[in-house]
Amino acid sequence: MSTKERTRGSIGEFIRRPYVRHIFVIWVFVTIAIALFAPVQSRLMGNSASLEMDVVKETMTIFTFWSAPVAGLVISIALYSLFGWRSKGDAAPTEDGSPMRSNSKVVVGWLVGSSILCVMLLVWGLAAMSESHNGSDPAEVHTVNVVGNQWVWNFDYKDDGNFSTPVLYLPVDEPVMFNITSVDVIHSFWIVEMGVKMDANPHETTHMRVTPTELGVFNIRCAELCGLNHSAMFTKVHVVSKSDYKAWVDSMKGSAQ
Amino acid sequence: MSSVAHKKSKGIMRKLNAFTGIAFGLLLGFTVNYLARKYLAQGEDFPFYGDQVIISTMLAWALGFMIGVGAFVGPYRWLMNRDLSYEDQMWLAGKDAGTARYFRFTTDHKVVGIQYLIMTMVLLGVGGTLAMMIRTQLSMPNNHFINHSMYNSFVGLHGIIMIIATIIMVTGPFGNFILPIMIGARDMAFPRLNALSFWLIFAAVPILLAAPFLGGISTGWTAYAPLSTQAPPGMDAYIITIIIFAVSSAVAGANITTTAVTMRARGMTWDRTPIFVYGAVASVGVAIPAFPMFMASQIFSGLDRAMGASFYDATNGGSGWLYANLFWLMGHPEVYVILLPALVALLEIVPVFSRSPLFSFNAAVAGIVGITGLSVLVWAHHMYASGWAPNLNAPFMLTTEIISIPTGLLFLVFIGTIWRGNIWVRLPMIAVYAVLWNFLIGGITGIYLSDVPADMALHGSMYVTAHFHYTLMGAGLTGMIGATAYWFPKMTGRMLNEKIATPAFLIMQLGFQVTFFGMFLVGLQGQPRRVAMYDILFANGNKISTMGAYTIFFGALIMLVTIIDSWRHGEVAPANPWGSQTLEWKVPNPIPLENFLVPPVVTGDPYQFGKPDIYDLGADKEKVEV
Repeated sequence: MSTKERTRGSIGEFIRRPYVRHIFVIWVFVTIAIALFAPVQSRLMGNSASLEMDVVKETMTIFTFWSAPVAGLVISIALYSLFGWRSKGDAAPTEDGSPMRSNSKVVVGWLVGSSILCVMLLVWGLAAMSESHNGSDPAEVHTVNVVGNQWVWNFDYKDDGNFSTPVLYLPVDEPVMFNITSVDVIHSFWIVEMGVKMDANPHETTHMRVTPTELGVFNIRCAELCGLNHSAMFTKVHVVSKSDYKAWVDSMKGSAQ
Repeated sequence: MSSVAHKKSKGIMRKLNAFTGIAFGLLLGFTVNYLARKYLAQGEDFPFYGDQVIISTMLAWALGFMIGVGAFVGPYRWLMNRDLSYEDQMWLAGKDAGTARYFRFTTDHKVVGIQYLIMTMVLLGVGGTLAMMIRTQLSMPNNHFINHSMYNSFVGLHGIIMIIATIIMVTGPFGNFILPIMIGARDMAFPRLNALSFWLIFAAVPILLAAPFLGGISTGWTAYAPLSTQAPPGMDAYIITIIIFAVSSAVAGANITTTAVTMRARGMTWDRTPIFVYGAVASVGVAIPAFPMFMASQIFSGLDRAMGASFYDATNGGSGWLYANLFWLMGHPEVYVILLPALVALLEIVPVFSRSPLFSFNAAVAGIVGITGLSVLVWAHHMYASGWAPNLNAPFMLTTEIISIPTGLLFLVFIGTIWRGNIWVRLPMIAVYAVLWNFLIGGITGIYLSDVPADMALHGSMYVTAHFHYTLMGAGLTGMIGATAYWFPKMTGRMLNEKIATPAFLIMQLGFQVTFFGMFLVGLQGQPRRVAMYDILFANGNKISTMGAYTIFFGALIMLVTIIDSWRHGEVAPANPWGSQTLEWKVPNPIPLENFLVPPVVTGDPYQFGKPDIYDLGADKEKVEV
């Protein structure tokens, strides 16, 4: 076997091919571009108002980072081929391209790579899920019963006093458990800036947990088509300090009696 | 029909066509409607009267139409012990019948393919027009272009029409017209079932289009219970359409599968079978378990509405989650039913336009098989936020994310085939590049959505709408346009005018990127799906989307005109304009009735590119002894 034959197909020979270098340069640029884009989606989602939303925003960013090299590879080869390997003119090419039918190293490498990425996604997802379920002492959790009704939300406070309200008030930095149900069709209870939602099903109670971290007024929208005025089924959640929350609860209890 | 009359007039079947079908369908429909109104119990104690009348009328129309079009002639004659003669069968196949064969129960697979193509284009046109209505309404936050009731109705109708159109758009036209020739068969395995599958859809379409006049499909295409129980009679139209469509797709699925398994030419071993055949079979193969679920879900829904059953009524022991499960057991395999045939049609195109063999045929088959197998195990990722089974979210996240591995293999096959090819940039190949880009975005956004915590934020928002349009429209429909451009010369005998079609395609692609960029934006900002009005916060993103949508519509109109014009007056196509090696390009234009005068014999796979001695266009005739 001559030296030339041995080196052909080796990694050293491969990376010395001019088109491989060109594709590599495009790949670096595209991958960096996607990586730079990674935080954009998270930013467009607005400021996070809960622990849960922090996880969502982190996930969107990190998944974009991980997919950047793979997406970059597909884009860079496709882009290069449009210029570097393009047949001249509109007529049928008179010459063939490469006769390569397969390359087991590439296929196996691709499979291993995508499997590793897949495992990373899964591990991240499981960790994120358990993170949003980790909580403090259940006794400290506020409970609010949410009732969906075409086309309004009602919030029944049981533990913190026995009253109902169409506008939600929550204390900051304290976990809340929502027990969600509906009196007619399926609705979906979505606190937008807190990145959580759960369907309200008739005759069933579902549960959702969230820990608000920001003071302010946030949006609640229905996320499941629920009939004629689905688009008008929204309300607000006020996240207030613990003392303000107590004052509000007292005033609500007063008006309920 | 005495035997003498039979010999002279050749039987009543010679007189049946689409028009007698419509006439008989209307006759039976009106008769049953009259009888139902006369004899069914009505009044305050019978709240189901209205739905009973409508459902029985629609079923009667469909049955009457199928009888009138001659769908049951074969079984009837067999029962009467007068099975169809060779002459009858030739007549059914449309021998020497000219244009008239397109308007009757013709069994020739090429006629059925063209019928499917026209039907697909009509449905895409109607669905696209509805999309424009939706986008016009959404151009401003509190627009009054259409009212909420009409808006909801259009959203539902747009959804289900596009789903049906995209399910049939590749396996219908190309699976029927191209696939049998591609494998060297003279027709499908069951030609009469083939015609049946098309005319069932033809019977269902008027029912579906009647929905807006019956109060509309106000539930979105998902038709979740118990909203569907509340919905106006337009919902009955949805239910009957789905039941008929499920029968049609089961028939078509059995037919295509049997054809591909049993009727391949001599020498066409599995490793010489074109990859399109694998994808088409996988697609209809997934439909075989999936659509009965859909059918069952709608039968239950119809029983709830018209007979007072309570399958989905939680107050009476039913469950809305039962519906959601049945629906998504169909609903997720269904997206691969749409996507796979479009992708494999492109896998047929890439080697030809790269002049390079398909990279790793085995990886392509593994990708198709992997996607097919996993697609039935991921349905509950649509239900992470439903509360049905929170403990199953993690396993469904696992299956959903694993599906990215076989999907990744298909990407590898695409770029591996392009690698060092001699790229011929024509419209079919431009579609390949467009699909690579769109499917990349659709796939990556799908990864975010597969993640349970991220989905809790994004589920039910416009982000999801943008994501599945990137997969079904950006990859599926764009792939179908590429496939149409590729097989147009074989199916019509004329070349597609690419001087106009290519710019039209690029306009559509540009509009597509703009539309769904805007939709991703408002989705991230928190706009729910299927809303007729929205917060001022989302105004800019929606304006961008609407402008993009008009651009798509403009491009699509030019494309449509070009297709019609090229079909009628285009340059006459040679038998093999692309230098392809699959068998459908070996038969002359126009294709003879039974495709091959002598059954072909196959000695190699159709991707013998990259060997200069074999490349010569004349030389590959040696491989097929015609």
